[in-house]
Amino acid sequence: MLILVLSFGMYLFALLKRHLLYVGFLLQAAYIVSRGFELGRLPLAGPHDTLVFLSASIAALSMPISRILKNHSGFQNGIAITAAAFTLLAITFEPRITPLPPILRIIWFELHVVLAFLGYALFAIAAVLGYLFLKEKTNLLEGLQYRSILIGYCFFSVSMIFGGIWAYLAWGTYWVWTPKELWTAILWMFYSLYLHVRLRQWWIGRPAAILGIAGFGVVMFTYLGVSLLMKSSHSW
Amino acid sequence: MVILKHIINFFLSLQTSIWLLGLFIAVFFAGAFIMPVREEFRYIHSVPLFEWLKEHPLWITWWLWGSIGILSVLTINTIFCSIESIIKKRRSRQWLLIISPQIIHIGFLFLLLAHLLSSVGGFKGHAVAKEGTFLQIPDSNIALHIKDIDIQIDKYGFITDWAVGIEYFSERNMVKNDSISPNNPSLKGGLNINVRDLTTLPEKTVLLQVSREPGALWALIGGILFMAGTVTLIILKAKLEK
Repeated sequence: MLILVLSFGMYLFALLKRHLLYVGFLLQAAYIVSRGFELGRLPLAGPHDTLVFLSASIAALSMPISRILKNHSGFQNGIAITAAAFTLLAITFEPRITPLPPILRIIWFELHVVLAFLGYALFAIAAVLGYLFLKEKTNLLEGLQYRSILIGYCFFSVSMIFGGIWAYLAWGTYWVWTPKELWTAILWMFYSLYLHVRLRQWWIGRPAAILGIAGFGVVMFTYLGVSLLMKSSHSW
Repeated sequence: MVILKHIINFFLSLQTSIWLLGLFIAVFFAGAFIMPVREEFRYIHSVPLFEWLKEHPLWITWWLWGSIGILSVLTINTIFCSIESIIKKRRSRQWLLIISPQIIHIGFLFLLLAHLLSSVGGFKGHAVAKEGTFLQIPDSNIALHIKDIDIQIDKYGFITDWAVGIEYFSERNMVKNDSISPNNPSLKGGLNINVRDLTTLPEKTVLLQVSREPGALWALIGGILFMAGTVTLIILKAKLEK
């Protein structure tokens, strides 16, 4: 846990010294590896581990974009704040050490979770880029937001497909009517809507940027809101 | 003729797709607040979706009917737009780039077809069974025999693994020997037989689930096409930008 607290500190100090973002990420990656050894599996179940993974994914996936933006300070600060916020949230949840139920020990589950969180991370990065575009009106930022969403959408779609395969093997059905699945469908359709509206010239720019930011609100409710507040197939 | 032209233009329009997607989100958003508070939705899986919808009042199912209606119009819209796009851009040099969004659309249509088939002909039944129990599989002459139940528990009381040995009987003759374990159901004649729950006390007992998902194969095909389309599109776009 100390490593995680340190990584949180590094993300915060990255607002002053930008390279500390990488240090924060490396610390978090080390924490994930140590949790993996402790549990004997990928640490991807429960709020603590998934929040850590989300935070590390945001920091890692922001790096190539940071290079394209030539170390844009606003972008790096936005990523540092987002990563720090999720790390802090992860610290508030107790790390689970209970063994994984047998039904979760399958590659389809692991791929389902990893890809979903990589998708969420790209949607978070897209929201940061959208916010910066609204502030700075630089077309490159909005273009990068579109690309982040497109790749995030690909990850998220594949995650849903793998989730369906796993559910069929585990529960005999590829679709369950619970609030989590309902919100997942809303999220998927929301980003489908984003990708379609952006084909129209009028939407490119401010409207698309706002839609990309709003999408992350749907992500947050699908991930945290439903899992914490509602009884569903993914409740914690 | 003018009306027909208007109808065709409506289905060929990207604006229609955008409105339909927006409407679908709004309807599902409303449903997301109705579903958790209504007790009726706990039994939504017990019968095929359409059967369940017919049995329940419209004021709690309207959003599901609404979404089915929207998806029906979206299906026609998708088919029209995809055909138009292929015809318009068939001479393009970037043929794979043109076709990959249409592969995504075909995958999406297969996924909708899968849900339609499962909503019409899906089935789910549950039964509690112990070692030695015989169960008749609905709508067939096949009986299921629970041969043995093996549950492994660690020192803290957590179930670490389990396996259920089963035999299929037809007219008193054993026709198949199989085993069910985590993520490894027994598949027979389009049925998926798996274990939903199990306990060791007072004796080893399992909650068996027999389900039929006529759309499962279509969903898999749709998923593969969707995946292939999206991955190809992203790779080609990245190459084009380079």
